[in-house]
Amino acid sequence: MHLPDILLLILLAPLVSAGLIWLFGRRNGHLAATLSVGAAGIIAVASLYLLFAFWDGAVAEDMAIRWVTLGEFSLSLGFSLNMVSATMLFVVGVVGFLIHIFSLGYMADDAGKGRFFGGLSIFMFSMLGMVLSDNLFMIFVFWELVGFSSYMLIGHYMKKGEAAEASKKAFIVNRVGDFGLLIGFIIVFWTFGTTQISELAVAVGAEPELLSTIMGLLLFCGVAGKSAQLPLHVWLPDAMAGPTPISALIHAATMAAAGVFLVARLPFLFTVDALTIIAWIGVITALSSAIWAFAQNDIKKILAYSTLSQLGFMVAGFGFGSLYGGSAAAIEAYGAQAALFGVGAALFHMTTHAFFKALLFLGAGSVIHACHHEQDIYKMGGLLKKMPITGITFAIGVITIAAVPFVASGFFSKDAILYVAKLVNPVAFGLLVGAALLTATYMGRLFVVVFLGKPRSEAAEHAHETSWVMWLPLAVLAFFSVFAGYVKQFPLIPATLHPILYDAVPHPAGSEHTLLIIISAVAATMGLLGAFLFYRKADQIDPLQEKAYPLWVVAKSRFFFDEVYDAYVAKVQQRVAEVLSFLDALLISGLLVRGSAGLVGVFGILARTLHTGNVHSYVWWFFAGLFIFSLYAFGLLGG
Amino acid sequence: MPSTEELQALVAANTWSALLPEILLGVLALALLAVDAFAPRRQPQTLLAAMVGQAAILAWLLFAVFTAEAGEARVYFAGSVVQTALSDWMRIFFVTCSLFTTHLALVYLRNREYPRVEYIHVSLVVTASFMLLVQSGNFLLFFVALETLTIGFYVLVAFARTSRFSLEAGLKYLVMGGFSSGILLFGIALLYGVAGNPLLPATAVDPLNFIELGAFIGAVGIDGANAAHPLVIAGSLLVLTGVLFKVGAVPFQIWVPDVYQGAPTPTTAALAVASKAGGFFVLFILLSGPFLALESLLFPVLAGVTAVTLVFGNIAPLGQQNVKRIMGLSGVAHAGVLLLGMLAAYQVPWAFHAVLFYLLVYAIASFAVFEVMAHLAPDEDADQDISHYRGLLKRHPLLGSALVIGLGSLAGIPPLAGFIAKVLIFVAAFQAGLYTLLAVAILGVVISIYYYFGWMRAAVLRELVDDGESGREPLRVTIPTKVILVALALITVVGGIFQAGLTKLVGLS
Repeated sequence: MHLPDILLLILLAPLVSAGLIWLFGRRNGHLAATLSVGAAGIIAVASLYLLFAFWDGAVAEDMAIRWVTLGEFSLSLGFSLNMVSATMLFVVGVVGFLIHIFSLGYMADDAGKGRFFGGLSIFMFSMLGMVLSDNLFMIFVFWELVGFSSYMLIGHYMKKGEAAEASKKAFIVNRVGDFGLLIGFIIVFWTFGTTQISELAVAVGAEPELLSTIMGLLLFCGVAGKSAQLPLHVWLPDAMAGPTPISALIHAATMAAAGVFLVARLPFLFTVDALTIIAWIGVITALSSAIWAFAQNDIKKILAYSTLSQLGFMVAGFGFGSLYGGSAAAIEAYGAQAALFGVGAALFHMTTHAFFKALLFLGAGSVIHACHHEQDIYKMGGLLKKMPITGITFAIGVITIAAVPFVASGFFSKDAILYVAKLVNPVAFGLLVGAALLTATYMGRLFVVVFLGKPRSEAAEHAHETSWVMWLPLAVLAFFSVFAGYVKQFPLIPATLHPILYDAVPHPAGSEHTLLIIISAVAATMGLLGAFLFYRKADQIDPLQEKAYPLWVVAKSRFFFDEVYDAYVAKVQQRVAEVLSFLDALLISGLLVRGSAGLVGVFGILARTLHTGNVHSYVWWFFAGLFIFSLYAFGLLGG
Repeated sequence: MPSTEELQALVAANTWSALLPEILLGVLALALLAVDAFAPRRQPQTLLAAMVGQAAILAWLLFAVFTAEAGEARVYFAGSVVQTALSDWMRIFFVTCSLFTTHLALVYLRNREYPRVEYIHVSLVVTASFMLLVQSGNFLLFFVALETLTIGFYVLVAFARTSRFSLEAGLKYLVMGGFSSGILLFGIALLYGVAGNPLLPATAVDPLNFIELGAFIGAVGIDGANAAHPLVIAGSLLVLTGVLFKVGAVPFQIWVPDVYQGAPTPTTAALAVASKAGGFFVLFILLSGPFLALESLLFPVLAGVTAVTLVFGNIAPLGQQNVKRIMGLSGVAHAGVLLLGMLAAYQVPWAFHAVLFYLLVYAIASFAVFEVMAHLAPDEDADQDISHYRGLLKRHPLLGSALVIGLGSLAGIPPLAGFIAKVLIFVAAFQAGLYTLLAVAILGVVISIYYYFGWMRAAVLRELVDDGESGREPLRVTIPTKVILVALALITVVGGIFQAGLTKLVGLS
């Protein structure tokens, strides 16, 4: 086996599966599920084999197939495997496979099973294609395909109006971001003359003064769309209308992290100013979504806002890590390693987040499944006794996201982000610690209300543990959530990824270390404990709403982003669209289309009258042509 | 009088083995007639042998080309025959076209009372002449090969001797073709005369030879450049007229719709594909060889011809209901695009390869369409209307999809191969700075989608109307036909997405 063959296998397995499902599995849900899970299994096995046993960690490029060549310009289809893409491959391979297995149980009785599993395979293909692409052109194509498959899967329950609306919203908001991304890519190509990422890195190294802040911010538009950063975050909570495995796979573990992946793939394209803005957007997203999570009663919406918040942490980690890594002090202390700090911090948190957030979502899925598709947490309660495996694994997920020191992978990764934020900007550090505290609190709230206390509804009363296909992935993910933080001590993370997930992650030392541990520990325990005390007695109504209504209203308002967008669409865009529609009817359809069709038709008739069928006239025609030729040749026509 | 030594040297240059494929095609053609005369009951086997024989010659040519070492042009017969990598490629192209034409002829002649073996005999002779034409190194072989194939076409066009349309088309083609041949010959004579004039600089010893003629036209004497000599100008323009007649460029396209409509479908296909390709290759030989020094004269003429060809070719098919006329008139538009590529080749070295790529893609798509046409043609072959295609996709999904893919490629709709072919030519034109013509061409493409769509719409959207007319009986599509259709459609689709194989074939990339 050669490296390109393995990569091709990984990439083609889901494509073949999607094709076969399209051909044979649309009516046969069982076949579709088998094909799709089989493809996911191939991906998981191949990528684990690749990362644990085959690949030596050296950057592998030049695996290109020439596609179009036009003189100087050539377009290749190429793969590349480096630390960043390998990390993503690992996450997508492992988490993707577990979620496929979970879906077998969750979607067992769904009427659109074939469509669902076909969509999953298309998603896996597009995601892996984007991860392995070696140039911007391909990344953009697969990026759009990822968006398309997300659109398709959000709208899976198409008979529900909410799902259809949500899929449209996700699609449109992402178009806004992707428009910026496309312009960004064009500017990059215009400036550096290549779309090949490896060549870009060299070109930027040679002429760093060509970089501009606007370029970086345009690229970040796409990131903000896909990774749901402010102000383009509005689609992700609504996307929870899709099936829960989709929320876990696409809207938490992988696709939503694609934005973070993109900045990690192209870290050299961002100027200091761009990085500062990006980092602050991350901080604001992390904090505000943590606030909004308090006013949500839908179990999946809470997790969605926590995803927003965690993505904010990653983006902030990338921004501050790169800023710190670029500073003179860091370069002196750590050498060339420092340049990777931003990428390392973001990717490490992305990896641990993928495990614990997939765990939380699948746990929520298990709960929803057991409660007959009830999603309101105030209609649950006391589920720990009824579903012990789900309850315990969910508790592990909560501890991990709350970042309890030493027993949670989330602790190590969040610690690195807090550390670089502290070094660059104390205010941002304070805000992020606040966000961490809030995270622990609202996750504590979720756990307390759902799993402790007494059942508050008929459905919760009769809930019981789900089948093994659903709890087994939970157990595996719980294991990963706890131990993946010990990168070097446990062989969960391939050794080939250690340079990026361990060496490139900035870790504090000495007294700094102790201080950060204390801060994290206090934030986590205070949050969890506070939640327990505050929500312990909760009944049908949220205690915050009862006791501190103004605060609840602020959280519930979600800072009016959706209202502002709705108003814009209804008042401004609608009017513009109406005017355009009128102009379209008048000018385009009326004058241009009808008019030109008529005009052209007249020309056609004229042209046809020339062909009289009379040989004599034909000969004269021929002669006329010759005559014009000779007029020209001997200077009688136009010189 | 040449000395004995000179004659011996001439004879020594007659390397007949270099022309073995053409000779074998001729032998095959004669053998078919002989076998059919003595064993008329064995006709199915004879026809099969015709296919197998051509396939064998094709295989041999392919083998020879792929094992040959790249090198200089090979010159035989004292400069009459010049074989280059490109001409070798064209020989393969023509044999392939001949195979398709033969298959079309078998489909066409299946239910008709015309002689079969004779049709294939003439078609093979025409193919061999095409192959000689693209190898010609002087006007002698050029004219003889051109006349042989044109005469063959007179027969093939008028082959449906009980059809009024076919006979009329044959007569029209004979008159117009004779006229054009006369003009061409007159041009050659003028060039021959002036190049042999000892008073002018660089007088040619053999004025018909392309290389010597090129040297003569390029020479500059005390009284001015030979290129400005009135006889050179007149002669070259007359020769050009003869070639433009072949490719169907405006204003010499007037014969196209009537002849395309009247001729039997396989002949129409051969005219549309082989004849056009041959014409363009000859144009390339002339423009890059003897007429190289005439760029300042010929470029504006060709540019004007290109513009009117593009405009006329795209407007004339509008509102046309007869699909054979649509193929003919839209073929004029394709000639315009190809001419644009020829003009770009003056500036951009790879442009002619793009022209070859276009010809290849055009041939593949056209044969797919003609195969479908041959299956749907009513008894009177000239009356093929768009209305016959109603509901074709439902009636016979394979024929329907092949038609849609073929037409889509001709219209240049992405992601089909025809789109890439157009893009390549347009990029070449852009690089050559031909912005105005490029704009006209792109506008033409937009219009062309309109008339191709009308045809496609009939096949895809319209319901089958049972009006009790003939041609509603089940379509008979044999397995080899299915294989051919699937292959053509597949190449067209795959070639649009991944064309490295095809571009390599024509020397692009």
